[in-house]
Amino acid sequence: MTVQEVRLCGLLLQEHFGEVVEKVGTLMLKNGAQNLRTILHETGMSVDLVKKSLCVLVQHGACLFISGRKGPGSPTEYRASCDQILRILRYPRYIYTAKTLYGDTGELIIEELLQRGHMTMSSTVKKVADRLTQNMEEGRSMDYSEVSSAFSSLVETHFLQRCPQLGGAAMKEGTAPADAVTPAAPAAPASTAPPTAESFSDCYKVPQVTLIGRGKRQLASEDGEDQRNAKRPRMDSEVHGDEGIYWQVNFERFHLHFRDQAIITAVANKLDQTSSEIVRTMLRMSEVTTSPSATCTKPLSANEIFRSLPAGYNISRPILDQYLTLLVDDPMEFVGKAGESGGGMYVVNMHKALTNLARATLESVVQERFGSRSARIFRLLLRKRHLEQKQVEDFAMIPAKEAKDMLYTLLSQNLVQLQEVPKTPDYAPSRTFYLYTVNQLSTARMLLQNCYKTVANLMERRLFETKDSKRLLEKSQRIEAILASLQASGAEPEQLTEVEEMITAPEKQQLDALRLHINKLDSAENQVDETIFLLESYINSTATSAS
Amino acid sequence: MAEVKVKKETNVSEAAEVESRIKELCQQFPQGITDQVIQNDMPHLEPQQRAMAINKLLSLGQLDLLRNSSGLLYRLKDTQSVSKMKGSDNQEKLVYQIIEDAGNKGIWSRDIRFKSNLPLTEINKILKNLESKKLIKAVKSVAASKKKVYMLYNLQPDRSVTGGAWYSDQDFESEFVEVLNQQCFKFLQSKAEAARDSKQSPMVQRNSSFATSHEVWKYICELGISKVDLSMDDIETILNTLIYDGKVEMTVIAAKEGTVGSVDGQMKLYRGVNAIIQPTGLVKTPCGLCPVFDDCHEGGEISPSSCIYMTEWLDF
Repeated sequence: MTVQEVRLCGLLLQEHFGEVVEKVGTLMLKNGAQNLRTILHETGMSVDLVKKSLCVLVQHGACLFISGRKGPGSPTEYRASCDQILRILRYPRYIYTAKTLYGDTGELIIEELLQRGHMTMSSTVKKVADRLTQNMEEGRSMDYSEVSSAFSSLVETHFLQRCPQLGGAAMKEGTAPADAVTPAAPAAPASTAPPTAESFSDCYKVPQVTLIGRGKRQLASEDGEDQRNAKRPRMDSEVHGDEGIYWQVNFERFHLHFRDQAIITAVANKLDQTSSEIVRTMLRMSEVTTSPSATCTKPLSANEIFRSLPAGYNISRPILDQYLTLLVDDPMEFVGKAGESGGGMYVVNMHKALTNLARATLESVVQERFGSRSARIFRLLLRKRHLEQKQVEDFAMIPAKEAKDMLYTLLSQNLVQLQEVPKTPDYAPSRTFYLYTVNQLSTARMLLQNCYKTVANLMERRLFETKDSKRLLEKSQRIEAILASLQASGAEPEQLTEVEEMITAPEKQQLDALRLHINKLDSAENQVDETIFLLESYINSTATSAS
Repeated sequence: MAEVKVKKETNVSEAAEVESRIKELCQQFPQGITDQVIQNDMPHLEPQQRAMAINKLLSLGQLDLLRNSSGLLYRLKDTQSVSKMKGSDNQEKLVYQIIEDAGNKGIWSRDIRFKSNLPLTEINKILKNLESKKLIKAVKSVAASKKKVYMLYNLQPDRSVTGGAWYSDQDFESEFVEVLNQQCFKFLQSKAEAARDSKQSPMVQRNSSFATSHEVWKYICELGISKVDLSMDDIETILNTLIYDGKVEMTVIAAKEGTVGSVDGQMKLYRGVNAIIQPTGLVKTPCGLCPVFDDCHEGGEISPSSCIYMTEWLDF
C-alpha cells in the first residue's frame, strides 16, 4: 500500500461514504489490522459512529474482520482492503458493461448491488423492478420474472456470486484453537481469497435453482400493485426462501471480461476485424474451461473454433486456417499453437497479450510525454535490452546531442535504468561500460502509482470546482425544486419564467462551464482507470506466471 | 694528375649510367628488385660503386628501401609524391609517411607525435606546411567534433570518419533522416493499404503487404530525394528506425542465391503495421504530461486545485 493508494482510497471513501467512514478507513489502511478499541482511541470518535462506519465498510467488502489472531479470546481485528476500495473507481465501468451486455435491467441490478455491497436476490429483484416501473409510462410495469431471469443470467455468467457465509465467525469461535492460525495466515497476503474459495462449490449454481422458483411465484401476487405501499409490509411478512443468501458483484469476472475486451480490441487494431472475431470466439469458448489466473487458455482445436464461430460470420474453413496461421505468426504472439491434432490446437496466450498491452501503454506514455523520438529510444531499449549511449545514437539515428538529452531525461524520470559494468573493480568512469536498459515491470509499477496520483488529483480538482461554486449549485437546485413544485401545482407560465429568471445569465454560463468541467474530469478519471486496469492486470499476471 | 681527373670523369658518367640503369630496372619490376638483380644485370660493376649509386638514389628520395623476407628490396618511389616532396626535409617526409600509412581512416595529430617522436609544435608546423602544399588534408571526425584527423589529399575519407551518408560537414543530417524515414513509411503503408483493399485471402493479403529492402531502396532512389548515393545498408538502417518507431515489422526469409535484394541467402521483408492501442488514458489527462508531476501536492505551492495546466485543459 503506497501513499498514493491510501490517498486515493481516502478520497474515494469520502466521496461515497462521507467523512466519518473516510477517517476510519484511512486509519485502518495506514495502520493495518486493528481492534475496535485502538480505532476508537486513534480516531477519537464515539463508539457508535465507529461501529457504524465499520459496518458500512464490511457491508461493501472493503473491510474484513478476523478474530483471535493473537490467540483464542483476543479481540476481533479489522483490516481494510485497499484493492476493494480502489474498485469503487471502476464502478461506472462495471455498470456500463452490464448495460451493454444485459440492457437496462442488468445495469440496474449491478448498480443496486454495487451501491449496497450485498443484497438478497429477492430484494434486488424487487428494487430493480420498482425503479424500472417508475421510469416507464403510466399504466405499465416491469415484470418481476424478467428481472429475476436477468439476475439469474448474470449469475450464470458468473458476473454475480454468493457472498461467503459470514456465519463463519461463529463457527470460527467454536473451533478457535484449530482455526486460529489458518484463517489469519492466508488472510494477510490476499484478503479476499479465502472466503471466495470457501464458498466456491455452491457459489453460482445451487441457490440459483431455488431462487428462480421464488421469483416466479412472487410474480403473480405482485402484478399491478402499487410498489411503494406494497413493499414494506411484504418485506416483513413474506418469506422468499432466500433469506441469508446474499449476492455480490463478482469483480474478478468483470475484470476477465475487461481483459478479454482489451485483447480483442488490440487484435482488431493490429490485424483486422475478422481476426478479432476469431480471438473473441476463442476467448468465449475458454471462458468456462480456463482458470482466471492461467497464463494460457486451454488448447482449442481449429475444428472446435470453426464450429463455434458466430453464424453470421461467413468464414470458410481454409480461410479460418489462414487467419489462425496469421495470428500465430504475428510478432505480438496473442495466439500460440499448442499442437497439430484436430486440425491444429490453438491457445490464447494471456500473459503475452497482457505484457504486450502493458508495453504498448508504456510506449504510449513515453511517446506522448517526451515525443516520438524519445519513444524510439525507449522501444529500441525494450527490444535490444542493454545498449551503450553510442549504440543508442547509431541505432535510433538521432544526433548525439539530442539523443543524450533524451536518454538523460528518460533516466531522470526513471523510465530508463542505467547499468554499470566496470572493467576494473574501482568503477573508474573511463573504464566502465554504461549500459542503458528498460525494466518493464518496475516501470509499469511506477506508472501505476502515477495513475493513482493522477486520479486523486482529478478528484481533488473536482471537489475544488464544486466547492468553489457551492453557493451557485445550491441556488440552482433550490430553483429547480421550486419550479418542479410550481409545475405540479399548475402555476401560470409567467410565474414559471419569473422563477427561472432568478438565475442570471452569467450565473447560468458559470453553471454550464462547471458542468462541462465536472464531466471532463469524470471522463478523464474513467480513462485513467483503463490504464490502471491494464497495468494492474499485467503486474498480477507476472506474479502468477512467476510462481 | 690528368689521369686521375679522367678516371674521375668517367666515374661520374659511369655513376650516372648505373643510376639510370637501376631506375630502369625498378620500372621493369614495379614490385621491387633485390641487390641480386642489379648484380646480375651489371656483373662488371663493383659492389662499392653499386652501393654508392643506390645510396645516392636513396638520398634523393627516388628509391625506397624495403625489407623483405629474402632480404632488402629496392623500389622506385612514386614519382608524383617525389615531386611533391621536393624541397621537404626529413621530418616532413617522416610525417608524410605516417599519414600515408594511416590510409583513408586518417590519423590524429597526437598519434603522429607518438609515432614520430617529434615535438607537437614541430608537428603542427609541418602539418600546416603540408596542408598548404595540398599534400594532406584535415578532416573533422564525426566521432568527436573537435578531433581533426589528417590523411592524404587525394583520399576519400572512410565512413567511420565522415559518418556515411547521414553526415554533411560533420553535422548529422537529422532532417534528411526524418524525410527518408517518412518516405519509407509512406511506401510501406501504401503497399499495406493496397494489399488490404485487394480483398484477397488473408494470407495473400499479408504476403503482398511485405516489401523487401531492395524494393524500398529502389523506390527511394527513383524518388530522387537524396543527393548522395544511398546503399541498401543505409536504407536498412532507416527501416530499422521505423521498427523502433513501432510502425513497421520485419521478417527474414530464405531466398535463393542471386535473387535481387538477397544478402547471404536471406531477404529482409518489411511491412507497415498499426499500433495495438490508442494513446492510453493516463496521457489524455494533464497530469500524464505534467512536467512538475512529482512536486504536486494538495496544499502545496503546486496543487491540483490551483493547477494552471488543469485550468487550461478544462477551458479548452
